[in-house]
This record gives sequence, structure tokens and C-alpha cells, in this order.
Amino acid sequence: MSRSDDETEEQQVWRVLSEAGLVEIRLDEFAERIADVKRIVIVRLRELLDFDTGIEERESAAYSLGTLKRLELKVLANAPKPPPDPS
Amino acid sequence: MQSRAKQLRSEANWPPEKGEDISFTSSTGPETAILKKVRWGLVWRDFILEDGRVIPEHRISGCPQPQVWRKFDEVSDNEREECEERLLSMAGSGMDPRTRDQSFWAELNQYLAYTYLRFKRAECKVQDTER
Repeated sequence: MSRSDDETEEQQVWRVLSEAGLVEIRLDEFAERIADVKRIVIVRLRELLDFDTGIEERESAAYSLGTLKRLELKVLANAPKPPPDPS
Repeated sequence: MQSRAKQLRSEANWPPEKGEDISFTSSTGPETAILKKVRWGLVWRDFILEDGRVIPEHRISGCPQPQVWRKFDEVSDNEREECEERLLSMAGSGMDPRTRDQSFWAELNQYLAYTYLRFKRAECKVQDTER
């Protein structure tokens, strides 16, 4: 994750989150960002299952994944409807 | 209440106090409003305005650089679980899909940033170990 030795930890976190589009999320981007974060959690959960370690972290990751899924459904259900097609 | 928004601040008098006018960039552009309170989220500080809107610290004018953010491992399991419950509760009670500065969106933004850091960091540690 490191790019420069001169970068402070705060700057590194800011850069990582900025590159992932997670510092300032626009209203119309939330569903997409939730999907991105879900993918990261799924990768980690798969690792934990493959190595059969970290039961607590596994449970916590699975719970967070469930929370993200429920939030994603709510956000999608509340998304502003596009204007009707005039044609 | 202060009569004018302070544009130039230093770390010594940061963050501003309750009742002060603060200048910031809202989702619709530059504005000034009265500060109600400042609270820590999972990653950064949020400024709650008298009118209920929630503005992240990095959008407040005069915010010292670099900003102080929490490390993801400073957040307890309990705090994370409370945040997850609160988000689901707010989502269940309805959200305004057009009001970006609403509490739900502010908290969801931080939850996504925090969750990303938490699991991305773990993924990087595994890759480093495997090298």
C-alpha cells in the first residue's frame, strides 16, 4: 500500500481512501461504493475460510457483509427515479 | 455566538466551539451556519449543524492540515456494532435520497471508509506475509 517513504500514515490513509472513492461519496455513487466494499470483505472472508483461522474475525466479516448487503438493498430501493422518457 | 465565521484557525483553537459560525462547503456549495456539536465518526470528525446537517471536517474552512483521523484499529467491536445497528435502523426508518448532508449518508460514508480500511489492510498484511 505504501507509495512514498515521505508519506505520513494520515496522508497514506487519505490517498488510499481517495483512490477508492470513499472520502466524498456522491448520492448517486453510494450503491456502487457499497458493492466495491462488499467485494473487499468477500475476498477477506474467503481467505479466512480457506485458512480456517480467525473465527472471531470471520464472524465479524460475515456480519459486516450482511450489513452491507442490507444497506445496499435499502439504498437501491430509495434511489431517485430517473425522469420518464419523453418518447 | 460569534458574529462572524473564522476563516483562519490554528490547531490550538480547533475545532470551533458550539454556537460559532462556521464556513464550509456543503453538497450544494459554500455556506456559513451555526455549529451545534462535533463528534468523532469511525474515521474522521463530523460537524453537526444547528439545522441537523452533518458536514465532515475536511469540508470545513480553516481545518488544520494534515487532519487527524482515527486508525481503524482504534474502533472497538462494540462501537462498530453500534454503528451497524444505527445505520440499519436509520435505513429502515427512511432516508431522503436527495439530501446528501443528512446524518444517514454521513455515517454510511464513514462506515464504508472504515470497512474498506479494515479489510483492505488485512488483505495487504496477508500478501506481505506470503512474500
